[in-house]
Amino acid sequence: MAELDPVIHAQARLRIMSTLAALGAEAQVSFPRLQQLLDMTAGNLSTHLRKLEDAGYVTVTKTHNDRTPATYAALSAPGRRAFEDYMTALRALLGEGS
Amino acid sequence: MTDRHDPAAASPDHDDDAPMTPAEMLALSRRQEDRVEDFFQMPTTIIVLTWGVAWTVGFLALWSASDASPIAVPAGPAGAVFVILMVAGIIISGVVGMRTGAGVKGPQQVQARIYGITWALGCLAVPMLAGALFRAGMSAEVAALYFPAGYCIVVGILYLFGAALFSDRSMIVVGGWILSIGIVAPYFGTPGNYLVMALAGGGAFLVYGIVLLVARARRSAGARNRG
Repeated sequence: MAELDPVIHAQARLRIMSTLAALGAEAQVSFPRLQQLLDMTAGNLSTHLRKLEDAGYVTVTKTHNDRTPATYAALSAPGRRAFEDYMTALRALLGEGS
Repeated sequence: MTDRHDPAAASPDHDDDAPMTPAEMLALSRRQEDRVEDFFQMPTTIIVLTWGVAWTVGFLALWSASDASPIAVPAGPAGAVFVILMVAGIIISGVVGMRTGAGVKGPQQVQARIYGITWALGCLAVPMLAGALFRAGMSAEVAALYFPAGYCIVVGILYLFGAALFSDRSMIVVGGWILSIGIVAPYFGTPGNYLVMALAGGGAFLVYGIVLLVARARRSAGARNRG
């Protein structure tokens, strides 16, 4: 049986990965919008995003929107694969198909 | 829009580094996906219900001002109600659409933005064409047939375009229905076409809005059962 990826196998990080995956391929989401979709504090979200970024699952881009700094997060290609593998492993553990 | 509060999804800040059982983790992921879907679906519901009210009340007001109506409403106030409701509908749709799209960038969002701009252009095309038709001698009676039909055809086709863009089957039904009303309503003549627009057009939006609300309630009930 496949091991569950420890980077994703934490409540907060699974929710972040699920959100980014649900937004569609190549979608970049701003930090405040992500915070709103997850109902997380800024500090908590930063901590978990950094762990996902360190694992190469999430890319964090800092840009400027009319001079105000803006941070966007997106699922990377390896991140998308890792999330799919994690969900497959989870369903396999539960004996669910698909 | 943080109106939905289930404990596990809404207050993750305590002990959220800890994993739960596989079943709980799967439910948590699905709840979060539902929450994201709900966030982007809710504005559609608001826009559909807004137009449902605007068309039903607006066209009923126009019809009430005609001789066919049992209650005699003066034409001036009836026309004003109609124009105010249409302008309010455009403003509400625009604001809700822009606020939802803010903070997300990507190919799907570019598609959605083009779609939104197409709505604005399509709705602008109807009065612009009317200007030329008026110059060519279109009478008030013909205009009364042209405007509702013109908007119905634009809105119907935009819904069908949306169905193709977002692979949304419910939009095929709504788009097809609204397009049919646009084609059929003028044959009722004025003021009968106003009544068709109010009941069949506005009514269709209201029914569709309620269908979306029921689907949402079912989704959140399902999420609670899974969690």
